Amino acid sequence: MADEKPKPNFSNVQSGGSSTAPPPKPAAGDAPPTRTYTVVAGDSLSKIAKHFYGDANQWKRIFEANRDIIKNPDLIKPGQTLKIPEK
Amino acid sequence: MRRQSRVGFVLTLCIAVSLFPACKKTEEPKAAPPAAAAPQAAAPFAVKSIDLGNAVGADKKINAPTTTFKPADTIFVSILSDGTSPKVILAARWSFEDGQVVNESSQTIAPTGPAATEFHIAKPDGWPAGKYKIEVAANGAPAGTREFTVVD
Repeated sequence: MADEKPKPNFSNVQSGGSSTAPPPKPAAGDAPPTRTYTVVAGDSLSKIAKHFYGDANQWKRIFEANRDIIKNPDLIKPGQTLKIPEK
Repeated sequence: MRRQSRVGFVLTLCIAVSLFPACKKTEEPKAAPPAAAAPQAAAPFAVKSIDLGNAVGADKKINAPTTTFKPADTIFVSILSDGTSPKVILAARWSFEDGQVVNESSQTIAPTGPAATEFHIAKPDGWPAGKYKIEVAANGAPAGTREFTVVD
């Protein structure tokens, strides 16, 4: 009987995404849409701000929107899911 | 006297002509103004290409296309699309060799023309070597599949 190859563990995979297309307009009564971003190794708030807004100096917007999970803006951890305020 | 009669006749004739519109010269119908160019219907949303690489630019397009990655790479897929839609759900499903699901995620967009949408995945402890596949769907309909390899 051949040994079965153990399946890899993908439970710690981090994902994210973004688009040049705008999000749909909210229907009346809908909550405003919020984009999210999952932090990956090597990320910083400045890098994420550059990614979403094209301007690294906008990192404070992301920091302010995530005060509940970010205590120190210089310390974000891979796997954290951040709210990204709309432009 | 004869001259006065002739003048009177001419005057009478002119009055008669002016009183009976049917005798007037009919105006030629004016040509209808050219119809305004009908607005072109917006093209429906369509996926144009699906590209893989290990980095994207600010335009969300792949900087360096590749289908072979290293275990420490963040793997990006960029979906280029065209067309207009008030709502499109783009979904990315990443799987490993035998179909084991690696990750699934989606984005909801409202494209108004050419657009680029990127998804990316990373694994802090490194990707196992092997063959992978990403399937892209738009509003639940398959839009394309790409395969890639991770090598040690």
